[in-house]
This record gives sequence, structure tokens and C-alpha cells, in this order.
Amino acid sequence: MTPTRRRRLLGALVIVLGVAIAAALISMAFRENLTFFFTPSQVAAGEAPVGQPLRLGGLVVPGSIERGEGLGVRFAVTDTATEVPVYYEGVLPDLFGENQGVVVRGSLDASGRLTASQVLAKHDENYMPPEVADALRAQGAMPPHEMVR
Amino acid sequence: MNKWLHSWAAPMVFYDRAGRLLLPLWMLAVVLTGIGVVWGLFLAPADYLQGDAFRIIYVHVPSAWMAMFVYMFMASAALVALVWRVKLAEVLARESAPIGAVFTALALATGSLWGKPMWGTWWVWDARLTSVLLLLFLYLGFIGLQSAIDDRRLAARAGAVLALVGVVNIPIIHYSVVWWNTLHQGASVSRLDAPAIDPSMLWPLLLVAAGFTSYFGALLLLRARLEILAREAGRRWVAERLQVAEQ
Amino acid sequence: MRQAALGVLRRELLLALRRRSDYAQPLLFLALVVTLFPLALGADPAMLQAAGPGILWVTAALATLLSLEGMFRDDHASGLLEQLLLSPHPASLLVGMKIFGHWLATGLPIVLFAPLFALLLNLPAAGFGVLMLSLLLGTPVLTLVGAIGAALTLGLPRGGLLIALLVLPLYVPVLIFGAGAVAGAVAGLPVAGQLYVLGAELSAALVLAPVATAAALRVTTS
Repeated sequence: MTPTRRRRLLGALVIVLGVAIAAALISMAFRENLTFFFTPSQVAAGEAPVGQPLRLGGLVVPGSIERGEGLGVRFAVTDTATEVPVYYEGVLPDLFGENQGVVVRGSLDASGRLTASQVLAKHDENYMPPEVADALRAQGAMPPHEMVR
Repeated sequence: MNKWLHSWAAPMVFYDRAGRLLLPLWMLAVVLTGIGVVWGLFLAPADYLQGDAFRIIYVHVPSAWMAMFVYMFMASAALVALVWRVKLAEVLARESAPIGAVFTALALATGSLWGKPMWGTWWVWDARLTSVLLLLFLYLGFIGLQSAIDDRRLAARAGAVLALVGVVNIPIIHYSVVWWNTLHQGASVSRLDAPAIDPSMLWPLLLVAAGFTSYFGALLLLRARLEILAREAGRRWVAERLQVAEQ
Repeated sequence: MRQAALGVLRRELLLALRRRSDYAQPLLFLALVVTLFPLALGADPAMLQAAGPGILWVTAALATLLSLEGMFRDDHASGLLEQLLLSPHPASLLVGMKIFGHWLATGLPIVLFAPLFALLLNLPAAGFGVLMLSLLLGTPVLTLVGAIGAALTLGLPRGGLLIALLVLPLYVPVLIFGAGAVAGAVAGLPVAGQLYVLGAELSAALVLAPVATAAALRVTTS
């Protein structure tokens, strides 16, 4: 091997090594919690901080929506394992409703209730005409919302 | 085949062949986009959840695809320009950047319009939206660098380095919805199993995407021809062709 | 090869030592900007604590950005840069050493003085360790990525603003995870994930940025 080729090989090896280390570190990072929002299970496990602003994501529990005075509304968010009660005062997005995905920004109090400053609706990647949706629901074959998959 | 491919690299040959391709490409762009948009906006069924508001998908998703496709095209041309010093690749990289920037801006604007009624916000700093905004900045930085360096060949090679550095953003955009819990939903079409969008809604989407791609091709060839004329100004073949055009 | 690399590094550090005031400017800039925030935002301790990690990281990025324009300018004017690129040793190694020297002179002081600025922003001492660690991992990435921008705009009139335009988008991933780690540490959350990502960015930038910078320098010095 000529010196030039040896040097090039060495350079390429160094680059591959650096990128491999980066990839390994990234894969380690994904085992940690690096998310846009917490799930109700994470809140129940005490992984979410109390009294700090955070985001919570999940589905609105059917039958949990209670309108209070004015714009106040109470509902619960679930990931099918556990629920977190939420209180919010403000305008809700059009898509908000039972069994719909939401991402709620607010802070938890010591009793585990979340007081929200913003409620965003999250729809999933499934698009279909109403008839198809009805047929799938009748067969019980509606794909689950990506929030709880 | 290889020889035929090489023959394109000569500015004069490219100018003539691109000129013949222009009209068919424009027609393709108009017809495909036209059919796709009419089909998508008026004939396709409304979504079970979002109603008619989901129809903005027919502009938003093809623009977002083009934003990434054009960047990859630009970066590939930049690589060819940097390694083999092919002048035509320099021209193609330079001229595709503004088109890609416009597609990116269009994707961001339509996404914002879609987000307000559905999500309840114009903008949210989740991984998908942030990484696409960065893509726009990368395009603008590339354009800025091109216009700051007067020597076109130098500008092309400097821009190529920048374009290649920016490629790291493309996988981040695509996988952002998988790697992080984003507000943005996952991919509907580009996934391994069956598309998560009903066929009656998918076909117009693919038509618009094909139309946008033809539009990109047509606009790129048009821009590249003008750039080649500017670069080769003073050559005899340029004078010949411009005289023919005048008559 | 090792001798040449160490020579470049020694020269860079010697220059920094001789012109201390030039190289102290980014740090001074950082101190001034950090002072501006409590004055402009109001000195509410809770608010400063919430905004502190972001303020520190953004000002650190801007201070690094400020130092970039002069990174290759003098060596380009004196012709030394061409000599480096023409030398038989790998250009990316020599350029990498130059970048390392630049970071030692401009980035390391920021890491060392960060707790002082954190005190001004009312950050709890419990977060200082993560603050310094995140800056130690992150500021080299800022310098490495910035070097590509500095090399691309070398010799251009009004290059300073263009560097910002090219480099700031590439700074975003470092800022997100750097500020995220500090904010998490202040809130008492686990921050290993953010630090892993910063480490990954550093490792990738270490091997790729010198190559890109050397390629860019070949273009702009030709």
C-alpha cells in the first residue's frame, strides 16, 4: 500500500468510527425520555415534574368531558392504561372530542391534576371517507389512534 | 448509454435538448396538477374526522415532498459538481434552490393554515415543524452564499459544500414523527405497509405530486437554460441561437 | 505528521496568548448580553431561572459566532493557509488542529465562566455541573460547525452577516439539546438523553467538520 492510500484508508476509518460513535450515542439517547409530551403512564410513574410546565399527550376519555362556567372545561386524558384529570379554561380546537388525541400544555399539581394553558388536538395519519369509517367501526376494525398504539 | 449521458453535459447540447423538453413538461405539469386538484378539492370524499378541511392535504403534502425531493436533487447535483466539476451540475444545483425554497415555504404556509382549525394552533415547535423550518433556512443560506460570491464557478463549489452539510437535516425531517412524540401525525403514504389513506383520496394526491414534479422539471430546465446563456454569453452558439429566436 | 499538527496547535495558542484582548472579546460579549436580559426582562428570580438556560445557550452561540469571522482571516492574508493546504500532511487534520486551538482560546473560557453567568441569572447551583458539561460537549460543535461557515465566506466583503445566515440553522440541534439539558437539570429531571445527543453531535462534528472545512478552504482560497 502506498502512503497516500494508507492515509486515505486511515481517514475513512476515523470518519466511520466517529459516525458509529455518534449513532451509538443517539440510540442510547432514545432509550431515555426525549419527548415532545409525557404520557399518562409516565405521569402515574412519577416521571413528570410537579409544578413545572410540561406537555401531556393521550386520548380524551369518553364521558369525561364536563363543561363548567364560561369557558372552563374538565376532562381526563388516557393512554388506555391510566388517566390524568385536566382542567382548562379557553377555546378548544374543532377536533377536540371524546376518543380524540390531544396534547395539553400546563403544569401538574401535587394531587396529580393538570391545569392546562393550551389544548391542541392531534389527529393521526388515517384518512378515509365517512362510510369507510362507519364500516370499519361496525366490524370493530378501526385502526387505533397513533397516540395509544 | 454512458456516452449519451455524457453528451448532456455540454452546455449547447443541454440548451437545445432542454428547449425541446420544455413544452411537454409544462403540459404535463398543467394537466396532472389540474386533474389532481379538481379531483382532490371537489370529487374526492370528505374525511370522516376532518371533513372538507382535510383537502388542504392536496397542496400541503406534495409541497412537503417536493421540498425534500428538490433538496436531495440539489445535493446530488452539488456532489457531482464538487467531485467531477461538471458545469451543468453546478447550474442545476444553483437553479433548483429557489424552487425548493418556494416549495418549502408553501408547505409551511399550508401546514399552518391546516393546523389552526385542526390542531388549534398556527405553529408549534415540534420536531417536524422545526426541522422543516430549518430546511427553509438552509435553502436561503445556499441562495445567499451563491449571490455573495461573484465568481459563479467558485460560488457553485462553495455552495456544494454547504448543500452537502445540510443533507443531515433530510432524514431528521422524515423520521422526526417516528423518533419523537410530535404533534404532527405520522406518514400516511411513504410507509412500508399499505398507505393509511383511502384509495379514493390517495389517487388525486399522487397526481398532484406528479404534476408538481413536472412543474419542477419544467421550471428547472427554463432557469438552467437562462443561466447557461448568461454563463456562455459571447460564445458563437449562443449568438446563433439568439438570432434565430429574434427572427 | 504529529509534529505538524502540534505545531499548528502551538502556533494558534501562542497567537491567542499574545493577543489576549482579541480572544477575550467573545467572553466579554457574553457577560454583557447576559447582563442585558435581567435589565430588559425585569429581575423576577423565578422568570430568570426559567429563561436562564435558554439565555445562556443562545448567548454562548452568538459569542462563538462573533469569533468566527477572524478564524481564518489573518492566516489567509499572510498566505499561511495556502501553505497548510499545500503541505503533504492531511489538510483536514491541520485544519482540525486550528479549530481546536480556536476553541481552546474562545470556547473553553465560556465553559469555565458559565457558572458565574448562571449566578447572575439565578440558576441553582445544582444545575452548574450539567451546565458546564453540556457546554463542554456543545461549544466545540459550535466552533466546528462555525468553521465550515467561516471557511465558506472567507474573503467575502460583508461575510460576517452571511456566516450567521449559514451557521445559525446548523446550531439549532445543539441549542435545543444543550438548553434542554440545563433546563432539565434545573427542574431536577434526568438529562442523560440530552447529553447523549450532545455527545453524538460532538462525535459526528469532530470527524466530519474538519473535512468539510478543508474542502471549503480549498474552494475559497483558490
